[in-house]
Amino acid sequence: MLNEILSALVAVATLQNLLIMIAGIWGGVIVGAIPGMTGTMAVTLALPFTFYMDPVPSILLLVALYKGSTYGGSVSAILIKTPGTASAACTALDGYPLAQQGKAGKALNMALYSSVTGDFISNLSLIFFAAPLAVLALHIGPPEFFMLMLFALTTVAGVSGSSLLMGLVSAALGLLLATVGEDMYGSFRFAFTPDMQAGLSIAPVLIGLFALPELIKLVVMRAAKKEEAAKLGAQHVTRAEFMGSLKTILKGSVIGSVLGAIPGIGPSSAAFFSYGEAQRSSKNGANFGKGELEGIAASESANNGACGATMIPLLALGVPGDVITGVMLGAFMIQGLTPGPLLFQTNIHEVYMLLIGMLVSSVLLFFAGKITMRMFAKVSLIPQTLLTPLVLLLCIFGIYSIASSPFDVAVLLVMGVVGFAMFLLNIPAAPFLIAFILGPMLEENLRRALAISRGEPAVLLSSPITWVFAALIAFVLFITMRREIQKFIAERRVNQ
Amino acid sequence: MPKPVLRGLIIVGFFALTAFILVPAFVPRPAFIPGFAPPPDMWPRTVSLAGIALGVLALLFAVFRPRADEAPLETDGSSRARMAGRFAGLMLAFVLFLAAIPVLGFLVSTMLLTLCIVLMTGERGHRIWIALLAFGAPILLQLFFSSALGTQFPKGVLTKPFGF
Repeated sequence: MLNEILSALVAVATLQNLLIMIAGIWGGVIVGAIPGMTGTMAVTLALPFTFYMDPVPSILLLVALYKGSTYGGSVSAILIKTPGTASAACTALDGYPLAQQGKAGKALNMALYSSVTGDFISNLSLIFFAAPLAVLALHIGPPEFFMLMLFALTTVAGVSGSSLLMGLVSAALGLLLATVGEDMYGSFRFAFTPDMQAGLSIAPVLIGLFALPELIKLVVMRAAKKEEAAKLGAQHVTRAEFMGSLKTILKGSVIGSVLGAIPGIGPSSAAFFSYGEAQRSSKNGANFGKGELEGIAASESANNGACGATMIPLLALGVPGDVITGVMLGAFMIQGLTPGPLLFQTNIHEVYMLLIGMLVSSVLLFFAGKITMRMFAKVSLIPQTLLTPLVLLLCIFGIYSIASSPFDVAVLLVMGVVGFAMFLLNIPAAPFLIAFILGPMLEENLRRALAISRGEPAVLLSSPITWVFAALIAFVLFITMRREIQKFIAERRVNQ
Repeated sequence: MPKPVLRGLIIVGFFALTAFILVPAFVPRPAFIPGFAPPPDMWPRTVSLAGIALGVLALLFAVFRPRADEAPLETDGSSRARMAGRFAGLMLAFVLFLAAIPVLGFLVSTMLLTLCIVLMTGERGHRIWIALLAFGAPILLQLFFSSALGTQFPKGVLTKPFGF
């Protein structure tokens, strides 16, 4: 094992890999710092480029973009009170008041230290927990996998958007779209044109769904915001300030790691949970929302703390927990690697390279953040009216270059319109994408389970593992419905 | 019609169309299916029926459990008709872009689409940046993808003599 780790370390420590990670982190920070651009967009836009790279550098690039953008979201949150990513929303609560007090640099530094710490702890959790989980997963068959994926899908549907019902509708749409093309026995389903016989590729669907609706919103609604960035001002976080927030950073990192490992939760929920917990337990709780460094520490340590942990279910079980890991699953598959328990047997060298690369990228995040902090204030002011058309251009060229297929470009544009329609109807897009990616595996495992059991549906509840997942699904549904009923009652009271 | 009711109707309508028209017409059953394997239409039919059930629930909630108004969309204050016109214009731009590729080639089509989109966002300042974005960026991207990654972009019937 030690030999494997050492050889992976040598393989990672090449100039090419380091440059790729640095480019990924910087690219991610810049994209995350621009309001309206998200980490998902950064990762999806980079996906076409990974087709031409080796497997490990391509995944490292995507991971670096993910981490960079998660931290980058805090930049515009602090400087212009516009979170670059949803997971930085809590950072704006204390970051912007600090910037108004002339302490933007201090807030950015605290965000950076917390992000790096959270990220490092999260990577350690990935290293320690992914392999044992993969070993456990080797003992499960089609019914268990079906129930596991159903659980992931239910969780994503439950936490995305404001309604479980709309989350489930979105998932059903994604499952349906995933059936387009040839099925496992050679039948062509919904093949309206010859191009559709091969099914719809992941890249145009997900890029269209997540990158283009922003453009359509900008053209149709024209609600672009113009903000004035705060000056960086006081820069340094003192030792006393850091030590005062250390407990919150560590707690936020653990919260991020635990919640990130559960499919469907992701960095945004982790940040909100951590912020709430820090406010509850801190002696400075009354200052939260008025410019408290601990608030930034709580939010940023948790959102970056979730980054590495979201890779646990992806690597160990082959189940993406959120949209970004969904994109990464696509990248793995494009490279001929299949995440899941067998990955730890067939491609252990690549797995070690990935884990070591992720640890290295935590360190790079620190330096990238430090070096480019002053530049960020400018980046967050690029007008959306110029930036968004550039995104469209990148999407079109990127998608065409994957398969030299005008059909894929058409799918990209159509999915952009579908994403916009879903936005108008308040149907969340995340369950759609996860369902689209998991759909073929979900169906295959269901059909295999039914074939093995001679068509007996009870096979789906035939083992203790399937009972556990069924119980978890029921639990998630119960919790989400209870939350919605409570919200409804509160709304009715307000209306009365 | 309130938005939640419309949403419920759209969901029910879409999944009903899929379950009762598209699945029977576009998901053929093979003559032989090995063993006890379920047929290819089992899964899309199941998902569509589940979708109908979810849509009916959404409709029932919209009618019998009306919630507080959903947050209004952020706009520039334009009327609905104007926004619908912008949307129609954008769709037209997309369709013309796809139709123009065989005629004008990929490069010129993307240039025209980008220029069109920038102008549709309402941007009228930053003229040099607009020109660079609309004409410079597609050239750079095409050079990058064709030289670094070997992508062959389609040439147009009219622009072929010029090499693009």
